[in-house]
Amino acid sequence: MSEPNLTEPSPPDTGPVTGPIADLSYRTYDGPLSPPRARWWAIARAASRQTFAKRGFWILTVLGAWYYLVMIVIVFFVEQVLSASPQPTNRAMDFFTRIVWKDQFLHGLSFAQLIFMIVTLMAGAGAIANDNRANALLVYLSKPCTKGDYIIGKWIGVFMPVFVAMALPTFVFYLYGAMTFQSYGFLTADPWMGPKLLALLPLMAAFQTSLILGFSSCFNQGRLAGFAYAGLYMLTNLFTQLMVGVFMNYVSRDNTAIDQVPATVKTFFYASIDGLNIGLTKAILGTHGSPYFGIPSRIPSMRAPELLPVLALIIALSVGATVLAWRRVRAVEVVG
Amino acid sequence: MREVPLNPRPALSQGLNSARVNVASIRQLTVRYGSFTALSDFTVDIPVGCVGLLGPNGAGKTTLIKALLGLVDPASGSGEVLGADIRREGRTVRQRVGLMPEQDCHLPGMTAVGFVAYAGELAGMPAAQALRRAHEVLEYCQLGEARYRNVETFSTGMKQKIKLAQALVHGPRLLLLDEPTNGLDPHGREEMLELVRDVSHGKDVSVLVSSHILPDIERTCDQVIVVTQGRLVAQGMIKDLKRLEGQPVDIELKDPNGAFLNALLTAGVTLLGEIPLGYRVQAPGRPEETAALAFAAARSTGAQIRRFHVATRSLEEAFLEVIR
Repeated sequence: MSEPNLTEPSPPDTGPVTGPIADLSYRTYDGPLSPPRARWWAIARAASRQTFAKRGFWILTVLGAWYYLVMIVIVFFVEQVLSASPQPTNRAMDFFTRIVWKDQFLHGLSFAQLIFMIVTLMAGAGAIANDNRANALLVYLSKPCTKGDYIIGKWIGVFMPVFVAMALPTFVFYLYGAMTFQSYGFLTADPWMGPKLLALLPLMAAFQTSLILGFSSCFNQGRLAGFAYAGLYMLTNLFTQLMVGVFMNYVSRDNTAIDQVPATVKTFFYASIDGLNIGLTKAILGTHGSPYFGIPSRIPSMRAPELLPVLALIIALSVGATVLAWRRVRAVEVVG
Repeated sequence: MREVPLNPRPALSQGLNSARVNVASIRQLTVRYGSFTALSDFTVDIPVGCVGLLGPNGAGKTTLIKALLGLVDPASGSGEVLGADIRREGRTVRQRVGLMPEQDCHLPGMTAVGFVAYAGELAGMPAAQALRRAHEVLEYCQLGEARYRNVETFSTGMKQKIKLAQALVHGPRLLLLDEPTNGLDPHGREEMLELVRDVSHGKDVSVLVSSHILPDIERTCDQVIVVTQGRLVAQGMIKDLKRLEGQPVDIELKDPNGAFLNALLTAGVTLLGEIPLGYRVQAPGRPEETAALAFAAARSTGAQIRRFHVATRSLEEAFLEVIR
């Protein structure tokens, strides 16, 4: 064994390491790649994820349940009164006979229309408009995506949050009612209420989704698209409120005068975005409506519109808006 | 031992030992926009490596890139990119190719890493792999520090780099870069050219660079394709394109010497012009024969040759002559 060379100089001090510890050179990717089709799902997932990640969305979804929450509280107190009293009071019993369960869904959805509109704006106003501003279509079309993937992906990406905002409070109330209000005829009064709600809610969400995407495709800024959509919503709503005013003028003095209401008023009573949604709700649930919270009222509700014309109008508007989005999204200029 | 790729995609390295491997081939392709013919009976083979795509405005470069991506419907002809038919398998082509567009483009409201990972998912990568790879390519593109910043807050140079990152994330075998140094300051341009050169050399990635800035092409590419009026007018190695006809040579002397020149002319050499401290001359035969004549003349006249090289022209001169 040789002696260690004690006179050998130590290696020069190179100073502190300044370069990165990790290997930053380019490496090829040899991992898996799924077949190049149906990319709309990736687009839909990303679009909906952006909305679901917003705290405001969940706050609005909870706010959209306010009618149901109030209803639950009222029913709870009435039940307390019934159970506390040795002889159920007539007024409490009257309350339950006045309650039409399917109308509670009509009211819940009607009162939440404005909230649904805000959720729709949040999810969809910038969906295409912001992409127009950022030239994002270049990114999509340089990948194995088509214009069809893009539109379908965006549509589903907006539809999912809007549907969740509508469906979550409704089905939570439905489940609560099915478990708690069974003895008051919640399930027996209309056994088809569940399937009817399952048919209604996607239709309403699809209608709002298609409209907002049509608007979004016409602008380069989500904010402008949102203002335009909200403007149309409010203007048409103002118009239907005028019709409500005329209707009330007839029926407030004489509740049997509903037949004297002019046909024009009946026709245009639902001629707004939320009006169409309410009309569709009435038509699908098969109700004209009843007093809110079971509080007696002598003013009758406007009759439900015929299902087919309302459905046809909603489908026509939805298809029209989607076609508009399809035409406005230009897939040609991918490279300079 | 040859490496076997883990995925079944065609690897360029499989054929690197052959004399010439093409990443894309276009055969008699004609593309029309209405009555305007953008590409006319266009045939080209794009070889492995870094290739520059040159041509004046409206020459058909953009249409060629679109055709390579399978985004236009040609009137006639055919083409293949990395083994996929551009007419029938556009999606497959775009999965194997990465495009860095000229225009500013990003996905609004996303962080850099979110954007690049999403681009990977769009290309077909599993979400977890896409995220891991996004971090990797952002580091490679020198955006590691800015990966959690919103892309909309990026400077022009950073936006160019993130466009490169999103094009690279899914590991394409062919990169199409459209004006990669557009809008960059000298430092940013230097960084971008270095990245392009690095990725296109020894990384199993071929690159087609479309640019109007000829020094950029010269710096990064080994070969060029010159297009004008929808037709291929020249293709080859840059050094061949820059070579002058007749292979003239430049001779630099310590002191310019009339006797040396006379001796050369007497030996049958033609004077093409004067250069600083010397002459550009041409003789029949190869440059080696001209060299022998020059050294003989120097010996006889006592002139001292400082430099002797085959004369070339700039890429710009070559380009202008080709498209004329």
